[in-house]
Amino acid sequence: MIDFQQKYTIVANKKVAGTLYQLSLDAPTLVRKVLPGQFMHIRVNDGLKPFLRRPFSIYRALKTVDILYDIVGAGTRMLSEKKKGERVDCLGPLGTPFTLPPKNVKQVVLIAGGVGVAPFLALTDILKKKNYKLILLYGARSKAQIFPMKDFKENGCQVHVATDDGSIGAKGWVSVLFPKIKRDMSTYLYTCGPRPMLACVQAFAKEKHLEGQASLEEVMACGVGACLGCSTKTTHGYKTVCHDGPVFDLSDIIF
Amino acid sequence: MINLAVKIGNIQFKNPVTIASGTFGYVKPYTKASDLKKLGAFVPKTITLKKRVGNPLPRIVETASGMINAIGIENEGLDYFLQNKLSSLESLGIPLIVSISASSNDEFMILAKALDAKASVSAIELNLSCPNLANKKLIAQDAAATAELVRQIRGAVTKPLIAKLSPNVTDISEIALAAQDAGADAVSLVNTFMAMAVDIQRRKPVLGNITGGLSGPAIKPIALKMVYDVKRRVQIPILAMGGIMSAEDALEFLITGATMVAIGTASFINPKAPLEILEGIKKYMKAHKMSDIHKLIGSLKI
Repeated sequence: MIDFQQKYTIVANKKVAGTLYQLSLDAPTLVRKVLPGQFMHIRVNDGLKPFLRRPFSIYRALKTVDILYDIVGAGTRMLSEKKKGERVDCLGPLGTPFTLPPKNVKQVVLIAGGVGVAPFLALTDILKKKNYKLILLYGARSKAQIFPMKDFKENGCQVHVATDDGSIGAKGWVSVLFPKIKRDMSTYLYTCGPRPMLACVQAFAKEKHLEGQASLEEVMACGVGACLGCSTKTTHGYKTVCHDGPVFDLSDIIF
Repeated sequence: MINLAVKIGNIQFKNPVTIASGTFGYVKPYTKASDLKKLGAFVPKTITLKKRVGNPLPRIVETASGMINAIGIENEGLDYFLQNKLSSLESLGIPLIVSISASSNDEFMILAKALDAKASVSAIELNLSCPNLANKKLIAQDAAATAELVRQIRGAVTKPLIAKLSPNVTDISEIALAAQDAGADAVSLVNTFMAMAVDIQRRKPVLGNITGGLSGPAIKPIALKMVYDVKRRVQIPILAMGGIMSAEDALEFLITGATMVAIGTASFINPKAPLEILEGIKKYMKAHKMSDIHKLIGSLKI
């Protein structure tokens, strides 16, 4: 049978800040399979509303498989109402994961906007073992929407925050934090967040001759590269976010 | 022992459940899905003669009990399909119904002849009804054009031909009859319903193509009525699709007169849907003490 489709029991589903939630699934068989940057395609309701599954980046896969999500519509609201002990139908892990930085890299900068911080914890779980200097630049709407940074700090990340309203950290988009990147050592970027932010990171990377990877978000139907509904424009033509991505070379994406 | 075998032309299918073109790609995304071998047939995504890059983005939007798509038959073209996709499809070991689309009858002819020459292709589906190719009018919206194309292809190929019809017509049975009279071995219906969605914040169409095709359970009752209409006028088998999500849905189509059913959009939500539907049909037949699928097909009591 189609082995990437399973029902998993919810261990926890808690609000962590503002409209941000963390869902933990009891999925011991999955934990070993998950690679950083991959996602779970979750059926938030057994009925027809909402009709399609919802894709969520995997935040961490240690004891449980965790996703971090923001309530942005009816589907994510329904997910937030699910209780411990309920089971959810998932496809996953899906998608092309992050790859490690090139050999000479000493410093890794993660640039996240809003819930776009989600795929980076699993990545730092790997990167922390390789002695990189890790920096997280994190932008959010306001202090209330800031996801707790404890896990990232424990993984050795130096965290800098910016908020749209300046309620915590620097005021403005995450791009106001770009000067925090000291370029005295070979640097590599990973970024995830709203498309305008990613475009901004791409422009910055081009100007400073930096390389990196970006994780994209898109509305999806199948989640496995069959329907071609979530395609995105790249320098190599249309590519599916679900299967060719969600991780792409930062310079390949056409905004 | 239940007999589930059905026929289209001279091809026998071990059961009536297949998948709708464009909803399972070319099987690769589901390579671990060895149980797909249990299906009656596999229908890969429609191919065209030349590579098509597909429509601008976004290409899909979720709607009430369904979705609208405007993919635009993104595919690598005939040669790539024959060289790179056909062998993995052959390895499924079940009949292949290859769906083709073209912008002219000549192109349809080249595609049909190329596939007719392949031993592993069981039947050819003429997709006369993709709503997302910027054509002013679909072939399947014109009985004479449908008849003309089917007649030309029929004259040149030996494999069974299935004409895939559009629901975007006044009377689908007219088109089905034209296809039958021109020599089609079966008709498949329905393709998607032309539809659109508007982003009210930006006051722009949601889809890059402006319009698209609606699929999913929202269209099922209308598709079923179209199968009913066609069944009353034609004798060739009907391959039915349109919002089938469950065995109960599939049974409605079979009872109304479909010889085969194709599962499409349901697979996006539940990749196991085609297999679960097949099992559900068997279970229903057992419960109703039916030993032959033909006792079920067209058994609607009026």
